Amino acid sequence: MATRKKSLLKVIILGDSSVGKTSLMNQYVNKRFSNQYKATIGADFCTKEVVVHDRVVTMQIWDTAGQERFQSLGVAFYRGADCCVLVYDVTAPNSFKNLDSWRDEFLIQASPRDPEHFPFVVLGNKVDLDNRQVSTRRAQQWCQSKNDIPYYETSAKEGINVEMAFQTIAKNALEQEAEAELINDFPDQLRLNSENNRPSNADNCQC
Amino acid sequence: MWIQPKELLLTSAFWTTEMYSKYFVLQKRRGTGESRGFGSMLVGTIDSVMNTKPAPYRILHQTPSSEVSYEIAIGITQDEIVKDWEWLQANLFSVLNEMENEDEVTNFTICKIQSLFTQNNQDDTGESPDFKVKTSQFRQFFKMPEEERLVNSYSATYVKNKIPRQGQLYISLNHVCFYSYMLSQEIKRIIRFAELEDISRSGNTIYLKTTNNMTYNFTLLFNSSEAHDLIEQLNKMAIQKLIHDPESPVVDHDPSNYSRYGAKASKKPVLLRDLTARQKSEEFRVYFRLPQTEIIDGKIKADIWTPYSKRFNAGYIYLSPNFFCFRSDVKDLVSVVIPMKTIKSVEKKDDGHQRYDNQIVIFTSENVPFMFAKIMDREVLISKITDLLSRIHVPISRERAKYDISWSKQTALLNTFKTQFSADIQKKQEQKLARWEDHFRDFGRGIAMFRTTDVINLIVEGIPDKLRQEIWLIFSGAIHDKEMNPGLYEDLVEKAACIKDCFVHDEIDRDLPRSLPEHPAFQCTDGIGALRRVLQAYALRNPQVGYCQAMNIVSSVFLLFCDEENAFWMLASLCENLLPDYYKDKVVGAQIDQGVLNELVETHLSDLHEHLERLGVIKMISISWFLTIFISVISYESSLQILDCFFYEGAKIIFMISLQIIEWNRDKLLKCQDDGEAMLVLQTYLEGIYNPEYQVPPPTDKRKLDRPQTQTVQTLIHEAYTKFGEELTQQRIEELRNKHRRLTVRQFDIDNEKTIVKAHAQNAYFNGQELHMLLTIIREEKLNLKSVQQQQQKTQCHMSEAPQLLPHHTSPSRSGVCDIMPGGGSGRHEAYSVNFEVFHTLFSELTPWRKCVSVDICEKLFRLTDKKGTGQLDFGQLINAFGLVCSAKCIEKLKLLFVLHLPPLLSKAEIERTRRPRPRIKDDADEAFEAEDFFDEDASESIEALPSPSDHNFDADDYALITATQHLHNLAGISGNTFMDLSRTTPNLSLNSNASSLAQRNSTFYVDLPAPLQGTATRTDAGQDDDNDIGLHQQGRYESIDTFSDISDLGAARITPPQTSTTAAAATASDQLLLNVETISNFSQISDLVAATRLDRADSNATDTRSLGSLGYLLDQPDESASASGKHRHIPHMRKENFQLLWRSIIEIMGCVQDEEMRCAYENLIEMGNSNIKKEPSLESFTQLNLGGSGDEQPDSNGNPTTPAAEPSSTTRLFVALEEELRQAKAEAAGMATTTNNSSGSGSSSATNTSDAWHISINQFIATALTCECVVKAFQTHTEIVEQIEQLQKKRRKCLSTNYNY
Repeated sequence: MATRKKSLLKVIILGDSSVGKTSLMNQYVNKRFSNQYKATIGADFCTKEVVVHDRVVTMQIWDTAGQERFQSLGVAFYRGADCCVLVYDVTAPNSFKNLDSWRDEFLIQASPRDPEHFPFVVLGNKVDLDNRQVSTRRAQQWCQSKNDIPYYETSAKEGINVEMAFQTIAKNALEQEAEAELINDFPDQLRLNSENNRPSNADNCQC
Repeated sequence: MWIQPKELLLTSAFWTTEMYSKYFVLQKRRGTGESRGFGSMLVGTIDSVMNTKPAPYRILHQTPSSEVSYEIAIGITQDEIVKDWEWLQANLFSVLNEMENEDEVTNFTICKIQSLFTQNNQDDTGESPDFKVKTSQFRQFFKMPEEERLVNSYSATYVKNKIPRQGQLYISLNHVCFYSYMLSQEIKRIIRFAELEDISRSGNTIYLKTTNNMTYNFTLLFNSSEAHDLIEQLNKMAIQKLIHDPESPVVDHDPSNYSRYGAKASKKPVLLRDLTARQKSEEFRVYFRLPQTEIIDGKIKADIWTPYSKRFNAGYIYLSPNFFCFRSDVKDLVSVVIPMKTIKSVEKKDDGHQRYDNQIVIFTSENVPFMFAKIMDREVLISKITDLLSRIHVPISRERAKYDISWSKQTALLNTFKTQFSADIQKKQEQKLARWEDHFRDFGRGIAMFRTTDVINLIVEGIPDKLRQEIWLIFSGAIHDKEMNPGLYEDLVEKAACIKDCFVHDEIDRDLPRSLPEHPAFQCTDGIGALRRVLQAYALRNPQVGYCQAMNIVSSVFLLFCDEENAFWMLASLCENLLPDYYKDKVVGAQIDQGVLNELVETHLSDLHEHLERLGVIKMISISWFLTIFISVISYESSLQILDCFFYEGAKIIFMISLQIIEWNRDKLLKCQDDGEAMLVLQTYLEGIYNPEYQVPPPTDKRKLDRPQTQTVQTLIHEAYTKFGEELTQQRIEELRNKHRRLTVRQFDIDNEKTIVKAHAQNAYFNGQELHMLLTIIREEKLNLKSVQQQQQKTQCHMSEAPQLLPHHTSPSRSGVCDIMPGGGSGRHEAYSVNFEVFHTLFSELTPWRKCVSVDICEKLFRLTDKKGTGQLDFGQLINAFGLVCSAKCIEKLKLLFVLHLPPLLSKAEIERTRRPRPRIKDDADEAFEAEDFFDEDASESIEALPSPSDHNFDADDYALITATQHLHNLAGISGNTFMDLSRTTPNLSLNSNASSLAQRNSTFYVDLPAPLQGTATRTDAGQDDDNDIGLHQQGRYESIDTFSDISDLGAARITPPQTSTTAAAATASDQLLLNVETISNFSQISDLVAATRLDRADSNATDTRSLGSLGYLLDQPDESASASGKHRHIPHMRKENFQLLWRSIIEIMGCVQDEEMRCAYENLIEMGNSNIKKEPSLESFTQLNLGGSGDEQPDSNGNPTTPAAEPSSTTRLFVALEEELRQAKAEAAGMATTTNNSSGSGSSSATNTSDAWHISINQFIATALTCECVVKAFQTHTEIVEQIEQLQKKRRKCLSTNYNY
């Protein structure tokens, strides 16, 4: 995987249970909405061919289980991800609050090469519903505070913004690809950063 | 301890006589205790090698003329034997002396001792004296607590560095230990079961590997398989305990449960028999699918008459309190389960058949006869059955509370939502039904049917819809649970319905429409309502599981075929018996089984394994296979047939089918380049599986229509049986599960540790490896301490643990189930937070400051670090504290030490205590008690001191102390001790408001600080009303200050008059400083505080929003804090008593005697402190202090510190290291100058201070301390934490010294 020119993008969809991850994926891939999905256990998986910058790439979309106790399984899916889609439900404030922990958890478990600039996309789903509780402004603020994560408000049911959001996802993932030289797929988990600090410590003691 | 008298001929070899009388000798074994002669060594070795291990003391009876002696008593301790000796002295000596005949004497003695022996043994535990000796030796060698019970010991050889060591292998409930004594060389090894990573056996050798990669091998000449099984079993129990109850990870065992089984006289230790019985019981339960409460009572060989084949079949009858079971010797030939309560009669029968004698016939309530023959012990069996029948407990529906909830039980949904089959399929169903009816006729129906291979064949073909409920209930064992708990389900449903606002219920509600959406039954309220009730009731029954996604999917299928109560019990049996731990936190059971599957793939499909492993596919895809028994991946109608088999076969079928799925796709999988491709291959295949015999038109899920049909589910099952059915046995799966349970739990730890290390990778002190080691040792020590605590608790209150499954948790919604933070991560770090005890152990084992004995530095450091006063340090705090202490940062370390000796932490009371001789280590209880003591004294003192206005002038120093205190008591949960200490050092600190309110909760103390210059000192006498007014006013103001983040802010506030105070009243009031000490809100609380810092104190509401401690900044990232906004944090000056202790600590830490240089430095500092008294206004004094301190390195200048210190250049020249300090000091001085200007203008000279107490500043201290080369050297040494940890681990492993009892 490391050597061939990557025409494959791995996208992970994360978010609380029942925010619409599966529906978003299916709306995007199959252009269909159904309220007949079973809760996702473990993970589900779809692929779609997309054209980005005149290049045809295969997008592998991994849809994950939202319940907390499945999170420890995440590491199996996260590795080698090119983009991470964080989904929350605009009618469920808790699902918005949990974005933080989803993001942190992903960064820790996937350990991307450049965690600061790893492409995330945030989707506020179910905007078709009336009882909206998380304001656009609040969501945007959060996204800005996290290194300007692109933010879309979507409705998997109505198909609002889904196509556009995933286009952005594909684009950002591909840019990330271009920027990061493919060294290895799975960087060493331990970074011995303390070396940087050591010299300054020593300074203090030259007395 | 008296023993059965034994004749001995040789009495002196190996023994030394300690006491003797005319007829008795008390002897001590050589080689025990302190004696160190060659003889002792030899005897010790012989004992160790020969495994004789006699008790170290014994009493012999002998008569002068006889050569024969009798051993009549043995003792493990001297006290014990002396007690026996004294008894002899009191009771026998005189009697025997009166006797004339020596034979008479001997007879009398023997008789007497025998009666004593039997008398004593009646109320005994049933252990042989031999075993008692072993137990006590085990405890003694390994310093194990009383509660740690020895299971058995074996003679074993341990090969270390290729040298074999003969010794004893001790297996206790939580440890494997080895002891060997060879010619004065003692070897001890302790291995905890919970930390075993691998257990294997080849021949007579048992290999063990622990989680920190230590390997051991023990060769046992005898009983190696018994020892191995025992280790496996205890390890399994330990790991399960870790999974189920991580807070009390110690295996404890209540022997009474199992003692009935195999209670026949046996030489084996009670606990060993017990554990064996437990193991047997478990196998029995699993095989017959009996409820978890069933305990096997015994088994007996017998033949069963099978009417369908008209012959007798050999096997065993198994009895348990509620069941009579039979299992044939030939695997799967026939088995029977008869509930005891259905047995109507048991009759003896003798029809003269020679070959089949000793028959009994059992009639069940349905008048079905079961005939058994060739029963060895017929009478025993019959009496046993009668006994069990008489004790049978018929459960009655409990009286239950009435809830105002109306609901009715939903019957099987399929009755309402009938599936429209095509004529073809309908015909097939009817045929199947007919075949089942035939079967019932031959083999019986209901629980007590003959279970044979025929029934498997029928099941594999698919159970007709009408029979599914019945068959599922019987084979899953759910029926037993249901019958034993009548009314429980209704009760749970109603209780659950009363719970509002519950996280679990929200989760359930969200998933209800996402369970089996394609089925019309779950598109309307009937199905949804029933599903909700079942899931909520189960969450209530088993709060440990609560609700896990996938349970909804499985339950919805149950509900289609069963009424809702049955569905509930099927779910219970699924979660508790069939798929153990699957739905727990982290779906741990399913993860374990993934490991098992992985290993099975490795053995059975070895060519594929490596490829799949590289892709990581198995981990990814199989979790849903396990959790939903394929329902979520295969079409509903196909998965039903797998479910049919599942209830009969258990988890085995999942493995078989999984292997078959992978096998079938072998070629395609081998071609896959990445995980996505492999996923697609399997997905396509699984979605294409169809069931031609159960086609439900119209297919609803359109996504699945697109897929081409791949294979019928019948073929899949059939192939799975033929290819893997034989090789996969329940036993093998259990063995593999044991192994992977260890590995999975270990993997969780590894993952956690990796994550935490990553999160702290940026810390200033440790690198990744060091962090890993620290985490490991924290985990180990926590386990260590917890086990001690748990065992101590156990002995304190002999409470038997209530079974967890009973629904006595009235509201799981409150008890943690709802507290689960979605998004996780919370538990991860918690697992590595340490309380004071762990901190103390680590501190005293790992850090160089452990040498300090006169001051309990550890406690101070803990309090300083524990900013929120929670009694717990998280890992980040811990590494900051340890990092600094172990680092080579000389100045920072001295600073920290200085701070640790400042009053809030090192209180006056404590200084006094250190003057009194006191034991270094004491119990928590003592400490708490003492604290209370102190508090009482102090409280009375300070209250008395209240009205007296002070002659003591308050200086900036004191002020700083108080502010520091105020903050520190927030952060350290500081005791009344401290507060009172404060009030004593500053006698005019008055407790405003009624003294009586002291004892009231939430009373607020106003600390009145007279700022002296403008005669405002008189204000202390101001009227109460006035005071109160100002008090209120001030309170508002200072509360806001209270939230400032550090003391420098406070310092600034002190100097600068508050900008907000515009009124005249406020201007005067600004001289008055108030301390709002509301955090110490309750006096009774205060007395507990010292103790509370040692306990986990969850209640930190009052303090957690408070500001960080002023002094604690040292423990933040030091680099950051130094550069952060260039703020100088003010550290209060130190008083003499504290300083003296500080100096003592330094000497102790250095571990040397004070040399000339140090003495000189010490005197300089004392001098300096003196000259700090009575100083000019604080502008000078501050500058003075800071710069004077740095000037101290010139011995002549320090004698005269009042010289204007305007030459910072000269000092910087000399003290490069202090440059920064100086600059800060200058900055402060400058800041103060402006302040003074301002404030002098306004007439309030808050900055003017005088001091008449001895004190030194931190800079003075550090500068002087640095003049001593040896101090610098000692404090510049970097401590290799890894080395220290390794040493500690070694110490623990080898039992070099034990901290089990901290």
